[in-house]
Amino acid sequence: MSLLEVADITVGVKHNPQTLLREVGLTVEPGEIMGLVGESGSGKTMSSLAIMGLLPAGIEMRKGNVTLEGRDLVDPETGEVSRTASEMTMIFQHPRDALNPTMRVGRQIARVLEINQDLPRSEARNTAVDTLRHVGIPGAARVARAYPHQLSGGMCQRVMIAMALACKPRILIADEPTTALDVTIQAQIFDLIKDLVAETGCGVLFITHDLGAIAEMCDRVTVMYGGQVMETGTLREVFTNPQHPYTKYLFDSVEREVDPRVVEEDVNFALMGCRFGHRCPSAFEACGEFPPLYEVAEAHRSSCFLHRKEESIGAP
Amino acid sequence: MTSPDPDRDFVAPEMSEEAIRLPLWRRKPLLVVGAIILGLYALLAIVGPFFVDDPRVTDPANFYQAPSGDNLFGTDKFGRDVFARAVHAARLDITVGVAIAVSAMVIGSAIGVVSGYFGGWVDEILMRFTDVVLAFPGFVLALILVAAIGNSTMNVVIAVTVAYIPYFIRLTRAQVLAERELEYVDGAKLAGNRPWRVAFRHVLPNSMGPSFVQAALVAGWAILTVAGLAFLGVGIRPPTAEWGVMVAEGAPDIITGQWWTALFPGGMIVAAAMAFQFIGDDLGAETL
Amino acid sequence: MALLEVRDLHKTFGHGHNAVPAVRGVDLTIDHGETLGLVGESGCGKTTLGRVVVGLQEATGGEIIFDGEPLDGRLARAEYRRRVQMVFQHPAQSLNRRMKIVTTLSEPLRLLKVADPDEIDARIDEVLQLVGLGPIYRPRRPRQLSGGQQQRVAIARALMPNPDLVVLDEPTSSLDQSVRGRIIALLRSIQRERDVAYLFISHDLSTVRRIADRVAVMYLGRIVEMAPTEEIFEDPQHPYTKALLSAVPTMDLDHRAQRIILEGETPSPTDLPTGCSFQDRCSLVHDRCRVEQPLLESLPDGRMAECFAVTA
Repeated sequence: MSLLEVADITVGVKHNPQTLLREVGLTVEPGEIMGLVGESGSGKTMSSLAIMGLLPAGIEMRKGNVTLEGRDLVDPETGEVSRTASEMTMIFQHPRDALNPTMRVGRQIARVLEINQDLPRSEARNTAVDTLRHVGIPGAARVARAYPHQLSGGMCQRVMIAMALACKPRILIADEPTTALDVTIQAQIFDLIKDLVAETGCGVLFITHDLGAIAEMCDRVTVMYGGQVMETGTLREVFTNPQHPYTKYLFDSVEREVDPRVVEEDVNFALMGCRFGHRCPSAFEACGEFPPLYEVAEAHRSSCFLHRKEESIGAP
Repeated sequence: MTSPDPDRDFVAPEMSEEAIRLPLWRRKPLLVVGAIILGLYALLAIVGPFFVDDPRVTDPANFYQAPSGDNLFGTDKFGRDVFARAVHAARLDITVGVAIAVSAMVIGSAIGVVSGYFGGWVDEILMRFTDVVLAFPGFVLALILVAAIGNSTMNVVIAVTVAYIPYFIRLTRAQVLAERELEYVDGAKLAGNRPWRVAFRHVLPNSMGPSFVQAALVAGWAILTVAGLAFLGVGIRPPTAEWGVMVAEGAPDIITGQWWTALFPGGMIVAAAMAFQFIGDDLGAETL
Repeated sequence: MALLEVRDLHKTFGHGHNAVPAVRGVDLTIDHGETLGLVGESGCGKTTLGRVVVGLQEATGGEIIFDGEPLDGRLARAEYRRRVQMVFQHPAQSLNRRMKIVTTLSEPLRLLKVADPDEIDARIDEVLQLVGLGPIYRPRRPRQLSGGQQQRVAIARALMPNPDLVVLDEPTSSLDQSVRGRIIALLRSIQRERDVAYLFISHDLSTVRRIADRVAVMYLGRIVEMAPTEEIFEDPQHPYTKALLSAVPTMDLDHRAQRIILEGETPSPTDLPTGCSFQDRCSLVHDRCRVEQPLLESLPDGRMAECFAVTA
């Protein structure tokens, strides 16, 4: 049994039959960093919001299972995920926007401690400073008295991580945590996240568009496009032996010499069947149906009819 | 990205933006209601006067007739047909309301873009000026101006326009301050645009969105203001067929039981002002 | 002779106690048809330097010499505007959203008087062709285009007056990975065809590596190292360059470079230490760095670095 198991998450706009996420599934093991990678509009952030039960108004979860350590987190009445901060917490791309601008950061962390660990106020304050020190903030006592606007982006992200840590979560969801930061600061934050995982044994769902960051950070990776899981497997399997046409295309686009005269269209998705169908160089008529995930190697699955065993059916 | 290959067997249809959008009446119901009401008014104002009698013709024998098939809205104390007068007034009031809103918008936005884009002492002076003007409610300011310049219909339009110009100056200026930081402004400079041309050809058109919303609201307010001035006897004068004039003339009749002389024009003022308000509110609201 | 020569350029915003020195004495040259990559982290002054070079901002000190002539006086400005253009970071923002593409593209031709009125249409089609867009894009508006297409139009606008130098300020940063590669390839093919020089500003080192002939690394308003691209990536000299390069995540699973994690954060430009601005994060720091500002000096192999430990 995995620490976090997500299956069949389907999400759409209310009063509209189209889906934004289609049967998205993934697992995270204890002490593992699972990467979720895709281009803009791939549904990676929407997936994390669905898992956290933070879908915006007007968006509904139509079906799906989210289980943490075997416990079902989906509320049968609302159909949405309900979880506590000690089960799952999240850090965001713009940490300063996620912090309360009118409250000192130490107080914000202390509040989390008071609520989640029932610490008395004075003890919470001291623990908050300790937590800040723990995430590598020099002069933690001074920073605890600062407001978010007085801190740099990298410092705010450390504060967010400290706050997440204060909840002692089983799962940490990091949504593009370093995209807004400089590379040297990014390297610091990456180190910090890895240290914390090694130390607490929590699982991390690490969301990014940067394949390099995935290679640095993750044990396993899930590739998304158009709200559909395209491929999932161990880092080495997916990076050295990509199976899905979209994954190959994505990797190619980084290194390959491309024809600059071919003009990029908007990122758009096929309405029926495989979401990559209308752009896929190897699409055939079976792709009008939604492809399931096929096992292509050990711990490596890909959602493409090319992997179907009965090769005779319509493959070009 | 790869374009679809025509030789391929299968090309799936693409997801279009239209496919996931709700129809207009679901997204902005007030806008649709307001537009329908306004459309009816426009029709009334344009073709109505050709089908009804002269609004000034008196018929002393038929005074204070209650609404009936002959006189839909009844007649007033001079025997004038209230419906004919209300229809003619619709042409005047809607025209005046829209004219005020449009002129205030054009003048106010032009001043606002100069103030916001160039800044400096021009901006300082203009802002202090709008501070002073905005300290008065629009109605009171219009009242003072009409008292100063006289109450011909044209003067009323000018006075009310001036009262609403500062709203557009402020609004456009605020928009321009945000807009001028965007990269296309630098792009326009590099394309050889001189400062005035950058301001009016590039920044202004992109800053007008909120002003159009404001103009819809102001058109409604202007109708109320013009009617209100007439009601107080300082605006458009009798015997002009104008809703405010009609309400002013009909108000005393309510006590003696002739409710129709004031109620119908009053209702038309309210409906017209509401239609503009609906449109403005829904245009301004960001909804899915 | 170099196309562009920048000598001891300074740009300070504000006055007195609030003065923020964004560029603090930069020297660089760009040759005809060459690409100089300018890399650095946020706040290092690279964008300000680009804006000063293109003339959107006035320098507070130093000289810009273009094609052998110092930049001053009105006449020189008009000429300069034709010959130096810029592409911005956010394609959706950098085009006037109410203008048709054809209007946006015709403006530089009409206003800078580089083409006769009857030539304009042909010139627009020619440049649209060059950036990979057909004439069908002429009547469209920016919101009808994808991000990559918008950036192509922005590149086309910059190319309209047939410039000798284009400043590219993070032109691919807000684009998806797959689109990024195409825009870089496009810029290179344009350079081959038109012999235009680029000042390519970016925080993304892997992108710079794919397009630049030489790279200049900026830290807190000064260039700390400048060298041909491959040399800087293969064998960086300045301790900051080393740390910066080692921090870039790579997709290579087998050859993991040893990370150098820098301590702390970039100091505030309003409160710089005396001496080298990198001293508090540097592993090679010694006493001299704390009192004296090192200068960009040539190494024996012709590369340049601004560090006592390297140039000594």
